[in-house]
Amino acid sequence: MIKLFASRTFFQSVLIINSLIVLLPVFFLLNSSLRESNEFARTPFALARDPFWENYKRVWSEGEFGSYFINSLVITGGSLILILVLALGAGFVLGRYRFRGNNLIFGFILTGMLIPAKLAILPLFIQLNWMNLLDSRLGLILIYTSAALPAATFIMSGFFKSLPTDLDNAARIDGASEFKLLSKVLVPLVRPGMAIVAIYSAIPIWNDFFLPLVFLQSPEKKTLMQGLTVFFGQYASQWGVLFAGLCLAALPLVVLYLVLSEQFIKGLTAGAVKG
Amino acid sequence: MKISKTRGLVAALFAAVTVVAPGASIASANTEITFWSWRTEDKAFYENQMRLFEAKNPGITVKFTPYLNTEYNAIVATALTAGKGPDVIQMRPYGGMANLSDAGNFMPLTTADVPALKKLPVGILAGAQGYKDKKQYGLPYAVSALGVMYNPDILEKAGVRALPQTWAQLQIAFEKVKKAGFLPLGNAGGNGPALEQLHATIGPTFYGGTAFFNDVVAGKKTFTDKGYVASLKAVADLAKWMPANYQGIDYNTARGLFANEKAAFYIGGNYEIGYFRSLNPSITVGWFPAPKATAGAKRYVGTWADGAYAINSKTTQKVAALKLINFLGTKEFGQALVDEIAFIPTAPYVKINDPAVKEINRWRTTLGTPFLNVVGFRFESPTSSSILQPGFQKLIVGGTTPEQLAKDVQTAVASWYAPQKGKS
Amino acid sequence: MSSALRKEQNRTIGALLIPALAVIIVFTTVPALTTLSYALFSWEGFQRSTFVGFENFQKLFAYPYLDQLIAALRHNTTAFVVIMTFQTSLGLLFAYAMFRVRRGLRFYRVVVFLPVIFSLVVVGYLWQSLFDPYYGPVNQIIAGIGFPELAKPWLGDTSTALPTLMLINLWRWVGFPAIVFLAGLNAVNSEYIEAARIDGASEGQIFRRIIFPLLAPSLTIITVLTFIGAYEWFDLPFVIGGSNGSPAGATDTLALMFYRLSFGSIDSGANNVGVGSALGVLIFTLVGLGAAFGSALLRKREVEQ
Repeated sequence: MIKLFASRTFFQSVLIINSLIVLLPVFFLLNSSLRESNEFARTPFALARDPFWENYKRVWSEGEFGSYFINSLVITGGSLILILVLALGAGFVLGRYRFRGNNLIFGFILTGMLIPAKLAILPLFIQLNWMNLLDSRLGLILIYTSAALPAATFIMSGFFKSLPTDLDNAARIDGASEFKLLSKVLVPLVRPGMAIVAIYSAIPIWNDFFLPLVFLQSPEKKTLMQGLTVFFGQYASQWGVLFAGLCLAALPLVVLYLVLSEQFIKGLTAGAVKG
Repeated sequence: MKISKTRGLVAALFAAVTVVAPGASIASANTEITFWSWRTEDKAFYENQMRLFEAKNPGITVKFTPYLNTEYNAIVATALTAGKGPDVIQMRPYGGMANLSDAGNFMPLTTADVPALKKLPVGILAGAQGYKDKKQYGLPYAVSALGVMYNPDILEKAGVRALPQTWAQLQIAFEKVKKAGFLPLGNAGGNGPALEQLHATIGPTFYGGTAFFNDVVAGKKTFTDKGYVASLKAVADLAKWMPANYQGIDYNTARGLFANEKAAFYIGGNYEIGYFRSLNPSITVGWFPAPKATAGAKRYVGTWADGAYAINSKTTQKVAALKLINFLGTKEFGQALVDEIAFIPTAPYVKINDPAVKEINRWRTTLGTPFLNVVGFRFESPTSSSILQPGFQKLIVGGTTPEQLAKDVQTAVASWYAPQKGKS
Repeated sequence: MSSALRKEQNRTIGALLIPALAVIIVFTTVPALTTLSYALFSWEGFQRSTFVGFENFQKLFAYPYLDQLIAALRHNTTAFVVIMTFQTSLGLLFAYAMFRVRRGLRFYRVVVFLPVIFSLVVVGYLWQSLFDPYYGPVNQIIAGIGFPELAKPWLGDTSTALPTLMLINLWRWVGFPAIVFLAGLNAVNSEYIEAARIDGASEGQIFRRIIFPLLAPSLTIITVLTFIGAYEWFDLPFVIGGSNGSPAGATDTLALMFYRLSFGSIDSGANNVGVGSALGVLIFTLVGLGAAFGSALLRKREVEQ
């Protein structure tokens, strides 16, 4: 019994079953996006033998998906850079330095995880108006950064803490400044942490539509998910078009992940600390 | 003081020049106004209409932005409270709107500014007034009416020859439809608001319609009244005619059952007809007012003002915004709204061409009674709706009793509504 | 430590910590405190009226809000316990399986994580159609394999709605702990494992004695994030059950209740910012205390090991 649990066959079958559970619904999504809406309403689970590409053409011609896509990329990318830079610094200081107030500041940053921006939307709006950051991509980037930073700092400080202190001392003896120590010696070692932070932060930012709805009004600044919300209402009864829209919206992140996953995993393993 | 007076004078002059001399170089500077809505489904219609408006009003462009309906309240409240938001705004009348108008977020509209207001019935106008100051803050553009929709082809096949006039006859019709192998009722329990509308359709005949409405509003009767409890029980009794697993069927699937001609009846608002036709363009939808509870009872058609246009009090484009509101009050716009979206117009000068809408409106004008929760009790939290919507979902699966639900509503309303305070 | 180094470190602390703190204070702390301060005022719609002290809290702890509050709190707690137990252990199982297999590893790594990157809107629509009691394939499959009486309106029945929601949550999120644990596992020095194997240790012993203790930092991260996520569970319940936690409040959560009270809804009307903010204070305190206590406890254990 125990042998079975430990065998490669067991693990292989676990992963195969899980892959089916993941991929079947995804297949349903793709399949439905290639069927005519009326046909879908009658037989929702029939195969799309004769792919109905019209749905995708409709989606593409409807909104300005190209510009939405670029905006989403700018906002997600901008936030991500800011989050990584700030969390590296804060995580380094909090994870590796012993100083008075360290725990207090760490605790304070953690409280930032406790209130999602959505629940403080009213004062946030008034404040952004006052700071002249309404209808601005930068304003949104700053909110996302602030929202993701606590968790990012929490994760990074954990990774910094797990590195042996000998590293620092060796580098210092070699005459490295604190900044050099961080950027040249430690950053390569916490790459798995950075990868986790990047993924954990990017997904909710890319997929969020609430904050852009509230804060961005100009059509040329709209994000992909924000654009999609109008689309849902407009095509509420046209399932095929709706599913095509959902697929198109999910596609960029899926492609990005497929392209980067090798690097992502490599980063996770290659840079990992030997325990 | 003096400076501001001079400035005011300059501004007035400026405005006068703009209005008097539209051809002058100053006026040719383009004015852009923004217009928000939760009707994403009507995006194409509104954009088309705005181009017509712009053609008639050179120098003004309108940016129409529809928002996701589930987030609309939060987005609008946030923007308006912070002193921003669009120039012209589409609102749900009664509670949601009154909350914002009481805080001074909308510009009061006078009949001098918006002549179309003069032609609207008093009961309809009330939907877009402040809860406290009773000033007019919006131009209502649509009313809704509740009734029973049916599929004539299915009734024919099931041998239902005459439309049910009483609750008992309705049950017999359901029985016949079921025997013929069709689904009697498309309504389901997955969506709280849809159940509330179902109750508002069939309930009034049980609790005594407008007379009861007036009594509860005045605090003379309470929600624990026998008639009101009976109206709740009627909803529970309909559950057995709903599709199998009705408690889990969501709003769109439920409407789809009727639209795709699987169910013979669907109880709800006239606005569903547009959705049915968009799913199945070949469907014929019949309509009749909810049957009476007993042979001696009266029939009622639940009705309320269902949409209004308002102006942001902080707008910097008052003149242009008023022009737009007046355009939205014209016969042409009203006619397009009725013809293209099948709404029931508020204005008596709009002609209804759609036979189904015409029929509904005929019944509405003779049997109309206010939608109790919307017209009377949506002004403070906890609203009666917020108790009833989840309450009905419990009721139809036997999770609560009509008596208990009535008591819950009474307690909630009595917590904020002065005439009901201390009553149970 | 030399004083020169100390000085340099102090400068580094300032340079690296202040920007992060500034962003958090301006864009999270200040708006959050403002929201919480709303709890002490009475509100007319969206207009702040008079200072009322703790009246909003009294209202929150009376009918009808108290019933909703207790139900919501129960749902959040259930979500935490269930997600922590099942999602985390499944994540660990998948991670360990990926750690052990050779064939198909690249494929599995992509597939396991795929649902995590989907938008919740996609996930919500998708699973609602799959669980649809009328057309849905889930019920068709259950009936097809010979248990038609078990076909249920999974998302519509008050007794199954919450478990189903947690199942969907599991589908969407299990890849996250799996990847985090996989990263942790890859950091385990394989020489230790080889040495233990040569000494005759069983697979179970190797996992318990060598691998599991080294996963402690990953487990801390997952536990704290799960705790906060569970008590602020909003997006998935909102997409599927709406702001009222349909059916009949069976999927209501603290955050949904906060949203409903703060903004009202287009279908049921008026809001109550004061009571909503009182609830906000409660959520904040609860999650804050829990997270602080939990992370302190876990960090202590990490050190001991």
